[in-house]
Amino acid sequence: MGLLRKIIKTGRVAEPAPPKPEADQPEHRAELGQLAGSVQVRHVDAGSCNGCEVEIGSAFGPVYDAERYGARLVASPRHADALLVTGPVTRNMTEPLRRTYDAVPAPKAVIAVGDCARNCGVFAGAYGVTGAVRDVVPVDVEVAGCPPRPEAIVEALRGLAGR
Amino acid sequence: MNPVGLSWAVALGGTVAAALAALAGPHRSRRVVVGVLTAISGAAGVAAGVGALTGSTFTVALPELLPLFGLRFHLDPLGGVFVAVTGGVTMAAAVYGIGYTRHGLDGRVAQAGVPVFVASMVLVPAAASVATFLVTWELMALTSLLLVLAEHRRRQQVAEAGLWYAVMTHLGLMAIMIGLVLLAAHAPDDGFAALRDAAGGLSPAMSATVFVTTLVGFSSKAGAVPLHAWLPRAHPEAPSHVSALMSAAMVSLGAYGIMRVGFDLLGGGPRWWWWLVLAIGVVSAVYGILQAAMSTDLKRMLGYSTTENMGLVLIGLGAGGMFAAAGQHVLAGLALAAALLHVINHAAFKTLLFLGAGSVLHATGTRDLDALGGLRDRMPATTALFGLGALGASALPPGNAFVSEWLLFQGLVHGLPNGGPGTYVVVPIAVAAVALTAGLAIATFVKAFGVGFLAKPRTDAAHRAVESPATMLVGMGLAGAVCAALALLPTRVVPALADAVAVTTPAVTRPAVEGDLTLRLVGVTGSLSPLLLTVTLLVAVVGTAAGVRLVATRRARRQARLWDCGAGPMSARMEYTATSFAEPLQRVFDDVIEPEQGVDVTHHRQSRYLVDTIVYRRRVPDRIERRLYQPVLALVRAWGVQGRRLANGSVHRYLGYGFCSIVVALVMLAVTWS
Repeated sequence: MGLLRKIIKTGRVAEPAPPKPEADQPEHRAELGQLAGSVQVRHVDAGSCNGCEVEIGSAFGPVYDAERYGARLVASPRHADALLVTGPVTRNMTEPLRRTYDAVPAPKAVIAVGDCARNCGVFAGAYGVTGAVRDVVPVDVEVAGCPPRPEAIVEALRGLAGR
Repeated sequence: MNPVGLSWAVALGGTVAAALAALAGPHRSRRVVVGVLTAISGAAGVAAGVGALTGSTFTVALPELLPLFGLRFHLDPLGGVFVAVTGGVTMAAAVYGIGYTRHGLDGRVAQAGVPVFVASMVLVPAAASVATFLVTWELMALTSLLLVLAEHRRRQQVAEAGLWYAVMTHLGLMAIMIGLVLLAAHAPDDGFAALRDAAGGLSPAMSATVFVTTLVGFSSKAGAVPLHAWLPRAHPEAPSHVSALMSAAMVSLGAYGIMRVGFDLLGGGPRWWWWLVLAIGVVSAVYGILQAAMSTDLKRMLGYSTTENMGLVLIGLGAGGMFAAAGQHVLAGLALAAALLHVINHAAFKTLLFLGAGSVLHATGTRDLDALGGLRDRMPATTALFGLGALGASALPPGNAFVSEWLLFQGLVHGLPNGGPGTYVVVPIAVAAVALTAGLAIATFVKAFGVGFLAKPRTDAAHRAVESPATMLVGMGLAGAVCAALALLPTRVVPALADAVAVTTPAVTRPAVEGDLTLRLVGVTGSLSPLLLTVTLLVAVVGTAAGVRLVATRRARRQARLWDCGAGPMSARMEYTATSFAEPLQRVFDDVIEPEQGVDVTHHRQSRYLVDTIVYRRRVPDRIERRLYQPVLALVRAWGVQGRRLANGSVHRYLGYGFCSIVVALVMLAVTWS
């Protein structure tokens, strides 16, 4: 009963849905059109400080609720349409990231989340870093910020899902 | 002498010739001669058994062979079933043995033991007097004990297993002897015909005593819980073709004994007898398969599965007796036919499985499922045959045990409304037990087949495995062919069992089923067509595979690396093991089986945060054995220690003991002499 009372008392905490973002992602338009309505996402931590992970968790939490736009985190690249890559790509994660990309069935997309994933951020030039995500696998969408706000992540996912 | 008697005599003669060849023949040709002669005896045994089943019985009396009592034999349809089962198992095991015994098992005793053991199992179901029965039964126990001990020089555990087997089988013999002698004391002589006539005049208490004491003995031979402790010990340690003979043929004779004494000699009896049998069957079936599901030793697992299957047979016997006592003869016939068919099915698939396990042991030197794997590429024929046996054992269509378990199920379910008082409690429990057993059996044999034969080899021994020699494959192939025939054409077998059922309950006059392609139950509604079911399944599988292929080839395809979480390469350490496969079941039945497990973590010397080694221990001890046997063993040991005080080495004291015992004997004589 306590749980039920809590559910009733708390009510709906999700933010009202912002307007649908303008579709302005340049590459892979034709392919990504096939993902209309839903996108299954596999998250890969390529060497992140876990700041971005907190924000991704928040984006899929009850407040920002990315799942209402058809985005869903899945447990295997075999189930995924898109990869959500965070962090600079470290040497240890270079090969696994490449293999994960290979394991995703086509058509596929890669979202680089956070400044580290875009351009290595503060880790640029560090001895254990191979490079940014685009140096390892082709990137379709980038989300800026250190860490990016959950709204930005949700917006990128909506751009892919098309709703 | 009619053809049945002739082939029975040929079977015995063949075993004697084989034993003589083993003892006196040259070492070089010993294996082949013994194997061929024993296989011929097996074929003759099948002929004799089938002949007896079709109604031509025969009787032979050899009064001068055994002093005082003489030996008397009479092969009737009920005995015929078990002689045929023994013969069939012998054929497969003997041919298999030619190749299997090449290394280390080609000594005189080990070679001569097998035919003598077979002879004893051909004699027991034909015994027609108490003395004959007990002598042949003991011969069977002794020869099998000798064979269990065949590899005692190689492994320590063999001696322990032999000791357990020797003690338990002889305690069982004592119980049977007490029961049968009590019964024979009320008859003019010890022939079964005389006992049958005398049983009507027994007091209920006396016949119950006879039944319960013999039930104890026979259920210990059948490996039923709680007298199963010898079985999971002796079966793994015996050579595999002997395990097959013991598990498929000898153990079934426990069920034969219950049928012979309970139904034939004592003529049925009150309902509670059969509730007792049913209860033993339910507990054996569920407990046996649970332990089998937990076991990682391939042959130990098969041993526990024998307990399970004998439990199912006992459920059939119990249900048959219960229905017969309630006057429901149609249902009684159905349940008893199901029990007999299950004896035959169990013999077929268990022979195949034990021979398959023997091939694995022969090729890899290990029985530990966690050390196997990857045998599919290295031993394709063995893998296919073991898979066929596993399909049979898991009671799924189109396996052969499915048919007998279905019949058993039908008997129980139809018995619910009209099985007499008490059935409303007994039958649902039995139905639930049969269902649970079938489910657990599937998990067990998926584990045995999947972990043992598929995936990658887990050890070097499994990596280096090679296919068995041709004779072993032929032996397994024979058993496999019988499995397939029983699975597809039970319609030819079940009606033939009618005469054997009629021996146990004469009121059953019609076969339990009829039909050529479809098994139609007689007297109750229900039908099953194993052949059509198999064809449908095959068509469905082939159709689905073709459909998937058709759909898949329309799209662009791309070869991708096996997904290994990006790390790779996949190693055998990542595979499911038998232990991990059984873990969820172990968790579910935690309260029943009480596993012992623990994790020891050793930390690094310099920091508590770094782990040096982790040791995981898991053991699934036999709980019933620990609770029931340990106190008795402890008591006997304490008694022995106390008794040691009496023998302190003083000659005077020993003379005193002798004097006292003579005095006591004389006093007893003086008091009772009059």
